[in-house]
Amino acid sequence: MRNVLRVIAFDLAAPLAAIAGLLLIGMFLGWPLWWVSACSILCVLIVQAMVVNAVLWRRDGVTVGTDDDAAGLRLTTVVLATASLAAAVLVGYTGLTLPDERLDQDSAEVVRLASAVSEATATFSPQDPTSSINRAAELMAPEQAEAFKANFGKSTEDLARKNISAQAQTISAGVEVIGPDAASVAVVLRSSQNAPGQQPSRAVLALRVALAKPDDRWLVVDVAPINAPS
Amino acid sequence: MRPAGTLTPMPSGDDATEDATVDTVDDVAAGPAISIYGIASAVLAVVAVVAAVLAAMIWSGHRDHADELDHRTRVMQAAVDWTNVLINMTAGNVDASLQTLQDGTVGQLNSDFDAAVRPYREVVQTLQSRTTGRIEAVAFESLHHDLDREPGTPPPPSPLPPEMSARTDTVLVIASSVSENVGGQPQTVRWNLRLGVSEVDGQLLISQLETVR
Repeated sequence: MRNVLRVIAFDLAAPLAAIAGLLLIGMFLGWPLWWVSACSILCVLIVQAMVVNAVLWRRDGVTVGTDDDAAGLRLTTVVLATASLAAAVLVGYTGLTLPDERLDQDSAEVVRLASAVSEATATFSPQDPTSSINRAAELMAPEQAEAFKANFGKSTEDLARKNISAQAQTISAGVEVIGPDAASVAVVLRSSQNAPGQQPSRAVLALRVALAKPDDRWLVVDVAPINAPS
Repeated sequence: MRPAGTLTPMPSGDDATEDATVDTVDDVAAGPAISIYGIASAVLAVVAVVAAVLAAMIWSGHRDHADELDHRTRVMQAAVDWTNVLINMTAGNVDASLQTLQDGTVGQLNSDFDAAVRPYREVVQTLQSRTTGRIEAVAFESLHHDLDREPGTPPPPSPLPPEMSARTDTVLVIASSVSENVGGQPQTVRWNLRLGVSEVDGQLLISQLETVR
């Protein structure tokens, strides 16, 4: 009974586990050509070792699993099988799980940033004309922030002089498309504008916010109206 | 002590079993039943089993994630297909278009379809023109603020009961239709729509239509 268990564990399960680990690595990597080649060679070597083991069993009545003098060899087979499966877990975690988690986190982050920047660009207070512009610029890439400040600087002076205030709130936002280092988010806002002596006006704005991730941090690179009147 | 120059025959199967039994008995008498190699192998075997389970979980998790992304893509495509019919309606094809649109709806929207699309029908019939619609942006909504809802009031219920559809996703569609009247200026209608898309019996249907105002 003990020998039967040893044969099952060391002569069958261990090499099959090693092969399974190699195949899993291939699945996790998406079967690139280099791994198809490497995996084929390694699998052939393992199968070859199993065949040799079977031949030795027929000839000598002893296998790696049942040979009492081959404890080190048995341990080696288990080490290799475990290493193969552990490598598969490592490859799967780094190649699949982490990118999947990162995509979910990035999707939430770009929507949050796009909403914040959109609201800031459409918000204005005559008491503190530059606060919303600065708030938006903080979330932008440096070049875009400078251009944004330069563009809106003139119009803020005009709005402040006329004592016009504007407030924007996000109604809906979602990811249009996202990759590891670029994303586009659609944001629909409700903007309310108050001018002295006039009825408050309300408008719905649809903006497309483009983002990039140059240094492991999402930054807004462009804010543009989606279906603005031409 | 074996005499020099003699050959010892290979043990038969029974002999081998006996020897193994004797060895085992000797091992038990001499020391622990499991050697340090055996313990290490057992520990590694446990690690291997855990690794195999983890690998299965990783693959399953990745498949679920990929399925979710695929579902979102199909939901967005369903919303685009439906909106394309809506924004390309003209006075000439309004009835056929409305029938197509109604066939693509479910739930309360399907029941109250005439009331829900009345504004759109009126726009189309008023324009009496050749209309070309274009989808400008489609996004899978992940952030929504109902600015008209009083604080403290409960959120609106799901458009479909859970037993009818396990989930309803919202797609934000921004589109424009340009209507060209003979001898007149082209008129542009801008659409900011939130579409609820529900999966009913494997089919993606529109269960909610809201114009963002």
